[in-house]
Amino acid sequence: MKLYLFFGAFLFTLSGFAQEDTAWKEPSKESQAYHKYRQHLTYPPYSFDKINQLVRKQVVTDSEDNLVMKDKAYEALSPREKFTYIMIHGESYSQNCDAMPPIQDEQTKIFGYLPDVFNEFTWSDRQKKFLTDNRDSVMAWMQECASKNNRIGVNFKTALGLINGKEMIPYVIKTYQIKHRDNDLLTLLMLLMKDNNYAPFISSATYKKLYGDNSNYQDFIVANKANRDLILKRAMDFYNEHKK
Amino acid sequence: MNIKNSLFFFILLSVTKTFFAQDTSSFVQVPKGEYFVGKKGHLLNPYRKADIESYFISKTEITNLQFEKFINATGYKTDAERMHNAMIFVPGLKEFEWEQDSTAYWRYPNGKSRGGIENKMNHPVTAISYTDAIAYCKWAGVRLPTLDEWEIACRAGSTTDYFWGNDRSQIKKYANIWYGRNHLTADSTDGYMYTSPVASFAPNPWGLYDVYGNVFEFCEGELYGKPKNKNIAHARGGSWWCSKNACNFFNSFDIGRVNIHASFSNQGFRVAKSY
Repeated sequence: MKLYLFFGAFLFTLSGFAQEDTAWKEPSKESQAYHKYRQHLTYPPYSFDKINQLVRKQVVTDSEDNLVMKDKAYEALSPREKFTYIMIHGESYSQNCDAMPPIQDEQTKIFGYLPDVFNEFTWSDRQKKFLTDNRDSVMAWMQECASKNNRIGVNFKTALGLINGKEMIPYVIKTYQIKHRDNDLLTLLMLLMKDNNYAPFISSATYKKLYGDNSNYQDFIVANKANRDLILKRAMDFYNEHKK
Repeated sequence: MNIKNSLFFFILLSVTKTFFAQDTSSFVQVPKGEYFVGKKGHLLNPYRKADIESYFISKTEITNLQFEKFINATGYKTDAERMHNAMIFVPGLKEFEWEQDSTAYWRYPNGKSRGGIENKMNHPVTAISYTDAIAYCKWAGVRLPTLDEWEIACRAGSTTDYFWGNDRSQIKKYANIWYGRNHLTADSTDGYMYTSPVASFAPNPWGLYDVYGNVFEFCEGELYGKPKNKNIAHARGGSWWCSKNACNFFNSFDIGRVNIHASFSNQGFRVAKSY
């Protein structure tokens, strides 16, 4: 009898445990809204309608043959039009595990890396080359575009990381301080400090947590005031030292 | 059900779980039943019960030799051969960066300049797309496992992150993955930089090899509760490219996504059948 009771209690425990584990917790509306906010792209106005039409017609992403704009058509674009094209379309594929899975309470976190720009697509070699070869113009165009609504989309942030746009640090900080919402701008600042081996950042606890030997690309720190202020201060210090 | 019957059912379930993955040559049979899949708190793959019918799943990933038989029999041209846009990896690239190589396809997974598969016929086929995997399956009279079927077979009765528990360090015994801190320099810590011959590492308790690492394995189906996107395929289990710092998908719960025509040298598949 005691044995039956023991197994009965065990089964009851298992049952209760399973019920608790299977409970599906929907992310809060705030978290979902912030997840969407992070995916925002900034659309350059330079011949946007023309380029968008080209992308839709000639470079339809569900067609296996037309992912890449034909060389002749691409070369016919002006530099600003190329910039628009690159900011709204990736010509190459992203690998299977590239996408950062959504998580709970995203708005309370500062991640070590930026989210994907184009989901299962990414920039091709020629697109990346254009951005790096024209980095001064690219930064000027970005500032012109982003100033209209004080948003720096994930496409612009990723491009700034790619071209090592450290000259834009004051602008990024200024944009962040207008709304104090886009934690990915703080991520961008950290990536710039990391990629430039800025010693005070490299030796910090934040670096160890986000980019250290045991870190993972999905890692984050809490988006509290202390962390935010520290990132902004370090980034500005880095910028000022870099200027000298 | 009284306590006595409950006890009997519990013991029966335990005994069944120990023996129910029957070995039939190159396939393992998974019986019809109710299994736990997913991970608590995971938004793309929440912890839940899944009811499935009995199915068979291949013990190993499909090899170059098996894929060659399909090509020889059908003359099929893969996506990479037609579009010349396979994505390859060479040490020195930043995290998550791949290079497009017009010469790469399944016979030359990392481009012609890096050699072919002549001496790697027992490695998993790679540089193929989801579309190519489907074509193989149609020819071979099999199918891809569904996301749930893959996970159930991978888990082998476990509900932990890995089929042995939650200790990631044991991965060395079971999988070909990337141990370098980044991908700027080559890493062959486990003996292989790219793919390894299938079944080079220890199997899971049901006899499946390489469920983690070696190549990402294409599956059928959509994410739980999400609408179907005809241009996206899902693949699971991580690959030789995946490290604990980047990707980290060599586990039982993560699910990736990729364009159905994308061909990477870390993508492959295993197959399933319903009878």
